[in-house]
Amino acid sequence: MITEMKVRGLMFDPYNNAYIVILRVEDNADMLPIWVGKSEASAISFALEGVAAPRPMTHDLMKAVLDAVDAKVISVVITDLNDNTYFAKIHLQYEDSEYSIDSRPSDAIALALRTNAPVFASEAVLRKQTSEELEQWLEDLKPEDFGKLDS
Amino acid sequence: MEQKESTDLVQLKVHGVVHDPDTDTRIVILRDAQNAELLPIWVGAAEGIAIKMALEGIVTPRPMSHDLIRSMADHLNARVVRVVVTNVKNSTYYAAIHLLSRGTEHSVDARPSDAIALALRTNSPIYVTQDVLKRRGAWNLDAWLEKLDAKNFGKHEV
Repeated sequence: MITEMKVRGLMFDPYNNAYIVILRVEDNADMLPIWVGKSEASAISFALEGVAAPRPMTHDLMKAVLDAVDAKVISVVITDLNDNTYFAKIHLQYEDSEYSIDSRPSDAIALALRTNAPVFASEAVLRKQTSEELEQWLEDLKPEDFGKLDS
Repeated sequence: MEQKESTDLVQLKVHGVVHDPDTDTRIVILRDAQNAELLPIWVGAAEGIAIKMALEGIVTPRPMSHDLIRSMADHLNARVVRVVVTNVKNSTYYAAIHLLSRGTEHSVDARPSDAIALALRTNSPIYVTQDVLKRRGAWNLDAWLEKLDAKNFGKHEV
């Protein structure tokens, strides 16, 4: 079972000096936080805000490579969260076959946003990573902690 | 297709990645086989790290972005045949990644940092056009490198 997620936005986590990508289940507002590094967050932020960089960024290049060979991103799936190591799959359509490629969720999301591909999370991930953790984290957060990347 | 390289191109190797202490950026040092030509390219910190990891053969537990591009190319039977630094305009360098897929060669526009990070992961040759070498700027890199704090250089040189 997989559930479609919307990329809700990005927040700065001042405690861990990292960023959190907030994914949300469409129909029940459950949230899935994914911690990512700074450059990964900026790759996602560019796509979320529709900012076109003067030169292709790494995920723009990734899309250009797929376009060049006529491969299409069908979907990306966050498949597992293990001790803060996250796993994702990028599903590609190429010629008559489908390929599933191992990736970090940050790369998968950055690519999905650029190719308008849907983002899914597996049931296992949603079960493990409840919104409670994020809510607790949000409660502890002071207003001044909200970063510029929050959208 | 690979033999098609025009004489206009010079093959370069990545000599190392150094930290520019003035700007928190990284400088990728490219050199030709004879050490006659030197091309420094300024890149961001994350891009510099992506290149340094490939140079040092560091394997991360999870695939980094350029590992993912290589993995996609592998799955789709596309091969990176070469990357070329093609142009420099207002100190911005331009590169092209040449991909061979189903007998057709495709050229994909890229930043040199991405092109180099991918070339190192696919064992593809890196070229620069003679024209870019000519226009790379007249300042003396060796003299500049000597001025870098020796300790700092040692720590960051590959």
